[in-house]
Amino acid sequence: MAELALQARPKRKMIYVLRDFITKPENIILLLTVVILGFFTVYPVVLLVSNTLKVNIADLFYPELFGKKVGSFTTFHWKRMLFSDMSSTYFWVPLKNAVIMSLLASIIAILFGGVVAFLITRTDLKFKKFFSTVFIFPYIMPSWTIATFWINFFQNPKIGNFQSGMLYYITGITVPESFVYGLVPCAIVLGLHYAPFAYILIGGILRNMDANLEEAATILKATRAKIIRKITLPIVLPALMSTFLLVFSSSMSAYAVPQFLGGTGGFRVLTTTLKQFITNGWYGQGYIMAIFMIIFGLAILGVNQRVTGKRKNFTTVTGKSGQISYIKLGVWKWIAAVILIVMCSFCSFMPLVSFALESCTMIPGDYSTLTLKFWIDPGYPLQNGLHGLFHETQVWSAFRNSIVLSLSCSLIAGTVGILIGYAVSKRRGSRLAKAADNLAFLPYLMPSMAMGAAFLAIGAAMGLSKTMALLVLVGAIKYLPFASRSGINAMLQLSGEIEEAALIVNVPWWKRMLKIIFPIQKSTFISGYLLPFTSCMRELSLFTLLSSGSIYLMTTLLEYWQIWCSQSANALNLLIVVTVLVINLLVNKLTGASIDKGVGG
Amino acid sequence: MPEIRLEHVTKRFEKFVAVDDLNLHIDERDFITLLGPSGCGKTTTLRMIAGLETPTEGKITIGDKVVFDAATGINVSPAKRDIGFLFQNYALWPHMTVYQNIAFGLENLKWKKEDIKVRVQEMLEMLRIEEFVGRYPAELSGGQQQRVAIARTLAPKPQVLFMDEPLSNLDAKLRSEMRTELKRLHSDSNSTFVYVTHDQLEAMTLATKICLMEKGVLQQYDPPLTVYSQPANRFVADFVGNPTMNFINAAVKKEGADTIVEFLGVKAKFTPNDKKEAIDASEVVLGIRPEFFTIRDDGKIHATAYSTLPSGMETTVKVKLADELVSSVVFGAIDYKVDQAIRCDIIGNQICIFDKGTTKRVSIGALEVL
Repeated sequence: MAELALQARPKRKMIYVLRDFITKPENIILLLTVVILGFFTVYPVVLLVSNTLKVNIADLFYPELFGKKVGSFTTFHWKRMLFSDMSSTYFWVPLKNAVIMSLLASIIAILFGGVVAFLITRTDLKFKKFFSTVFIFPYIMPSWTIATFWINFFQNPKIGNFQSGMLYYITGITVPESFVYGLVPCAIVLGLHYAPFAYILIGGILRNMDANLEEAATILKATRAKIIRKITLPIVLPALMSTFLLVFSSSMSAYAVPQFLGGTGGFRVLTTTLKQFITNGWYGQGYIMAIFMIIFGLAILGVNQRVTGKRKNFTTVTGKSGQISYIKLGVWKWIAAVILIVMCSFCSFMPLVSFALESCTMIPGDYSTLTLKFWIDPGYPLQNGLHGLFHETQVWSAFRNSIVLSLSCSLIAGTVGILIGYAVSKRRGSRLAKAADNLAFLPYLMPSMAMGAAFLAIGAAMGLSKTMALLVLVGAIKYLPFASRSGINAMLQLSGEIEEAALIVNVPWWKRMLKIIFPIQKSTFISGYLLPFTSCMRELSLFTLLSSGSIYLMTTLLEYWQIWCSQSANALNLLIVVTVLVINLLVNKLTGASIDKGVGG
Repeated sequence: MPEIRLEHVTKRFEKFVAVDDLNLHIDERDFITLLGPSGCGKTTTLRMIAGLETPTEGKITIGDKVVFDAATGINVSPAKRDIGFLFQNYALWPHMTVYQNIAFGLENLKWKKEDIKVRVQEMLEMLRIEEFVGRYPAELSGGQQQRVAIARTLAPKPQVLFMDEPLSNLDAKLRSEMRTELKRLHSDSNSTFVYVTHDQLEAMTLATKICLMEKGVLQQYDPPLTVYSQPANRFVADFVGNPTMNFINAAVKKEGADTIVEFLGVKAKFTPNDKKEAIDASEVVLGIRPEFFTIRDDGKIHATAYSTLPSGMETTVKVKLADELVSSVVFGAIDYKVDQAIRCDIIGNQICIFDKGTTKRVSIGALEVL
């Protein structure tokens, strides 16, 4: 009877459905997520595009735009960028540089990371436990760590800032400038930085790959070489491709390394050129660059999707792989171990040693002039306007800013991530949940630099320019993917019945969240808070456009000091790297979650 | 047609002993099942014979070739042991088609292209999977993958075939179908089969001999019906058979020449099949299979029906006797009311008596209720 009545009044039925929809918290969360994130996805793109068609104040000095009104319509930026005598300098050369650099970096990362992953998962290499921990250090440390160490190590009085470096001081060897600044070092350093990333991905695949697949080939009399060629490689190939594309995409949008190692020789990539445009106030060209970076990023992602979703389904490669017999390396297990120790210490320990040493030399690179002045002198050790680090107010305010920013970002991203995870898993499979899931993951795919540029435009449009709020906003959105991923994972592991059991005895929603769901998946949720925090602490490229000239962070201060305040910069660098490492260590200790989980020896 | 010989084979993973001093002699053309609960060392044993795992100690011989000897350092690689291995999860290569999967082993043997084609076709027909020849494993159902895996294993005509729970990923119907096929395959192929399973029914129905293991130690190595009717100890008795054997504590005393056992208010005379098996303990554990604890109107034991579980062909009755539950299986469908009074008896001459301490079987014989 009741049903008949409902059919008779469709309007009433609509209202019931709507009321039913609204009274469920998961629906409201999803709706808000889609609306807010949708806004922050679409709006910046619209702003970027519209700003490339506008005249800015700094543009007025171009003869072509002389006398035009600020804010009026023009296609000048696009023409100048792509079809003028400057287009090669502004666009094509940086693009070519970026592509070559990223290609080389990806190859280095895959070869290095892949070989190490193979050695650790498939052979009887010595000291596996040690390597699996130490090898990922460079990935935890800020992206410029190896770059700055590279300068400290190879710098010599004939090149760059004309100071001495470690290698020169010890051996007197002067390496050519092209090995210290420009394409080659940028590619090598990026490759070394992303090698752990490749190692984690490839190692994960090798670890999870069913050892039976290889054993089946052994029994059918295939040789070791043939097994690797015909079985192992083809099976990990999609993962290799995917790793390659991810490293390539990350290198394309890398900023700190080419910024620090680009040198004076004019090695410029997309990101460093973008930064220059914005610093000069040429927003039009800068935003065009940002748009291209976003397009490249999405294109690479599209290719990646194609590569990983094919007919020969490899994702189902699982099984009981605990029982694997390692390849016996013989003497090589020692030789390989020694080579790896040297490589690991170059990438993981030497940077710290070098920062410490450099920050304690009166004359950079001259270790006979050791002093602690750059750390503790309340005055001006070099008369360069900087106090000893502990007395430098800039450092303390930057430190405070970094902490405040990271805390706010992680609180917002972490909480929102949990809520999204809850809502998505509740409405699993629905179109709304999929939309929210994808939107929450989108910022991960956005090049940081381009996102910074987009939020620069948003800041100007909303009157938030040069405020902490803008930094918090961009940081929270950028790191939301980490939190929403761990939130969704945590919630999917949790059977719905656990919450339903509380629902039946009429426990309100907020209490179910606080008293039941959160405590059960505590450690996963906590890592959803901590990942944004650590990432934020070491982030440069996302904030460099937004914070310049206003709110200094530790990382942007370092960028500012890098070239001419060598000792103070090294001291600050050490401070940042140690802070990041310590926080990471605490995270591992507290949550038991570690980046390399499932790969170790 | 090789036989397989394991002598004092031990495998230790650091401190954990997976297989402890195992001696096993597998005759040619045998169908052996390695049976036991998970973690008992049966898969490790199989992998050691295949060469996928290196024993810590001992000696393994296949045919007249020593393939492993810890004393002399011989360790022949699995590729040179002339064996076939069927994995639990089939381990089909996901990037190769059905044809490529089956042909791979033959290519490694440097067969001619035409010969490979002929042999693969033969296997496809034998396992009735011709229409899937161009498909990738991900496009096949579990049963089809299983057939491809068997085809791949059999294609090079191995003399010895090792199988590691090959049916455990299939549904019940397909499983019983494949059991039939495997038994046919065994008699058709003239090979020696070694088969790992934790399913006692599978072991009973397939094997010519069962090797039952627990915690790395061999418990009994006998034909299936021997294992069933003359279990070596309580563990074997408990593991084989469904519903499981009844274990009842009993007191033993001598009355003249007779051995009298008393349990749950029942007094009975025990007559061992082998007169030499004397029971000198005063406390033992009786092992009575449910089919030997029967229900009949002239039974001497008075009890009540606790619950009745008819399954059509037979009925399992939980009988309440002196506050303990005893399982009984009777042929046909009967349905007793709850707590209905019934009369039971003990029949047959396969009633086991186990030592209370060592759990070893000390005697077997008939039990006559007095």
